[in-house]
Parts: sequence; C-alpha cells; structure tokens
Amino acid sequence: MAVVLVPSLVAAQAGGQKRFEVDAGTVGEALRGLPISDLLLDERGELRTLVNVYVDGVDARQGDGLDTKLGPEAEVRVIAAIAGG
Amino acid sequence: MSPVVLVGTKKGLFLVRGDDARTSWEVEGPQLTGWQVFHAVRDPRDGTLHAAANNWVYGATAQRSTDEGQTWERSEGLGLPEDSELKLTEAWHVEPGHASEPDTLFLGGAPGVLFRTDDGGTTWEVNRALLEHPTRERWQPGAGGLCCHSIQIDPTDAKRMAIAISAAGMFRSDDGGESWEPRNTGVAADFMPDDKYPEVGQCVHKLLLHPARPERLWQQNHCGVYRSDDRGETWERLDKNGLPSDFGFGLALDPADPDSAWVVPEEGAENRVTPDGQLGVYRTRDGGASWQRLENGLPKPAWAAVLREGMAYDDRSIAVGTQSGSVFVTSDGGESWIEAASQLPPVLSVELA
Repeated sequence: MAVVLVPSLVAAQAGGQKRFEVDAGTVGEALRGLPISDLLLDERGELRTLVNVYVDGVDARQGDGLDTKLGPEAEVRVIAAIAGG
Repeated sequence: MSPVVLVGTKKGLFLVRGDDARTSWEVEGPQLTGWQVFHAVRDPRDGTLHAAANNWVYGATAQRSTDEGQTWERSEGLGLPEDSELKLTEAWHVEPGHASEPDTLFLGGAPGVLFRTDDGGTTWEVNRALLEHPTRERWQPGAGGLCCHSIQIDPTDAKRMAIAISAAGMFRSDDGGESWEPRNTGVAADFMPDDKYPEVGQCVHKLLLHPARPERLWQQNHCGVYRSDDRGETWERLDKNGLPSDFGFGLALDPADPDSAWVVPEEGAENRVTPDGQLGVYRTRDGGASWQRLENGLPKPAWAAVLREGMAYDDRSIAVGTQSGSVFVTSDGGESWIEAASQLPPVLSVELA
C-alpha cells in the first residue's frame, strides 16, 4: 500500500487524519480516493496550482503529474507551495 | 439567545459573544484556522452556521457547523461545470433562503456565479441562467475578481431575488433564478472610458433589500450611494447629500425603518481609508436626503477600512468590522459605539446572529 501524507490544514478537514494508506497505481488515483481530494484537485480533476506532490522525494510535476506511477511502498507527500498573506 | 457577532477574518472565524444588554463582549475562537472566512452567517431557520471559506492553496469551500463551530463539514463538489470553461476561484457570501424553503440556501462566488442548495448545504448546484448570462462577456473583474457578494430574497415572495456582482452590476430575478435581468438604470460606472451608464458593468459594493418594504433597495457602489423604490427599475443617487465621498463598501439598514441606512465612506477608490483621520459611520433617517456623521466611541485618529461584508445589522444593533482588526457595535442607532473586539486579524466580514 502506498502512503499519502497531507499538511495539517488539510488534515483538519479530514477529522485530523494526516496519513492515508491507499491502494493506488498512480498519484491521481491516490489523491482522488482521499476524503479531501477536492482541496487538492480542482473541479476539472487537475492538481491545484499551489499544491505540490512529491513521490518518494521527487516532484510529480517533473514526472507524469497525476499519471505518475506509484510503487507498492511509495510515499506520496502533499506540500503546499509557499503562498499566503 | 445571547447575541453573537460572527467575525470572518483573514485568519479564521471568531465568535464575539455579547451579554443581553450588548454592552460586554467576549472573543471566542478562532475556528477554521488557516482559512480566509469571506463571510459567515447563522441560518435563522435552524441555527446552523455557514461559512464561505477560502485558502490560497486549497481553493474555495462552503462549510457548515451545527455545534457552534466546534466542528465543520465541508460541502461536496463545489465547482463549476466543465462546459462553462470557468473555474470557481472564491466563495464570497452565504445567504439563507426564504422561510418557506427551509433547506435552501444560496452561495455567491467568483467569477460572478451563484449556487443553490436544497439540502442544507451538503451539495450545491450552480445557477445556469447567471452562469450563461448573455451579458457576461461585458463584465469586467475588479480587485474582487467578479465576486457575487450580495444575495437578497424578497421575504414576501421566494421567487423574487436581487443579486449584485462586482463589476457586473445588479441583477433581478422574478422566477426564482430561472432568468436574470440587469437593473442598473441610473447607476454610474465612472470608471468606464465612454458610456458612464451602461446596461451592465457597474461596480456594486453592497446591495441590501429592506425586509419590511422589499421593493426598496439600497446600494453602496464604487460610484455613489443609491436607493431604489421600485425593485431596482430606477435608482436615485444619494451621496451628494452630506457624505464626504461617494466611495465605500459596507451598508446597514434598520428593519423597523425603511428610511434609515448607515454607510462608512472612504476617501475614494485610490485611497481606501476613512476620511479625516477618523472612523466615521454616516446615518440617514430620511431615505438618503441627508447624512449625519456618528463618531461617539469610534477611534480617532484612525485610518480604517471596512470591506463589503464588514457591516451587519439585526433588529437591535449594527456591527462594523475593520481591516485593522476591530469590531464596533452600536445598539442605539449609532449614537454610541462599543469596541467589542480588537487586535483580530483583518476583518473580512461580520454578521449578527
């Protein structure tokens, strides 16, 4: 099972859960299965501009984006880009 | 129930609770930390709290709480249909629906969109008639990015609605949102290069309908303060009658007196701060024929700014929230003000609940 780790602000929207074990073959499948998928993906199912996803330490956008393949023990880390005010 | 001012800020939602006399207030919160709460409201029909909450990274959400904000539930699937080629950028305002439709609420957002829920906020459906409005291509986004910020429902007829979008103008529906007609005759758009009185494109900052005389509408506009006595068919400009400027955002009414209104003028579009180095609320008691500055209890010197959702009223009080993090409340029509909260994050919205 791959593991998805999400930031605390997102976790608060999922009852405090920061770590999700998912049975998914790609980043997109992993994110779409989360109860907070709408915060990470927009209404077209695209990764929100300021949401970064790292698969085993590598930026998924430098790979195949949401189609990036996940190994059985992959760690998917969701990190917010630096933004705010 | 004791009064509460729901204070939406740039850093979450605060509940400022008052005693029955409304002279002593205490700050609770924040809730929804990390979220910019553009607006929060209590549904008077069932007590549920609703919030339009936005985040730089995670987008626009509608949230609701049935336990005074201890826990929040996010609405499902809030977004725009693919065929519109638009994406939802911000949630701006939640308006409980008509008393006869207890599970219905409306949500205004950007870019110039309106949603309706008939299940208390679990799911929302976009209003197609507004989304596909034939004048949309003439709407010009301002700093608010085409926000639908005002949603007013005629208490005598659930199908009669008035909404306002910056900078598209006011639109009226007589059929529950099946169709929308621009109602901006007589409202200036001074920022336009040629036609200063176009059919659409006006920058309404806040629109309110008087609950006891629903054909009477008031608006604080980018270019003036206006009143309509015919549901928006025609508008009378009122800001030459004693107001220090035509520019401001907040607006409040008196549910017992259709001739009364309160505004907070700012110097102008190019310097959005209260004039004369003080926070002054201006009141009319004669339908806008004259305005009087009210300042007892308000800070001086002060260079304050009140946003479009930064003013609210109920049957006893008016609340004003500033971008400098204060909330002022009056319970005598503005003759005296109490600072109910200070040092909050910049206030985006207030509602009395």
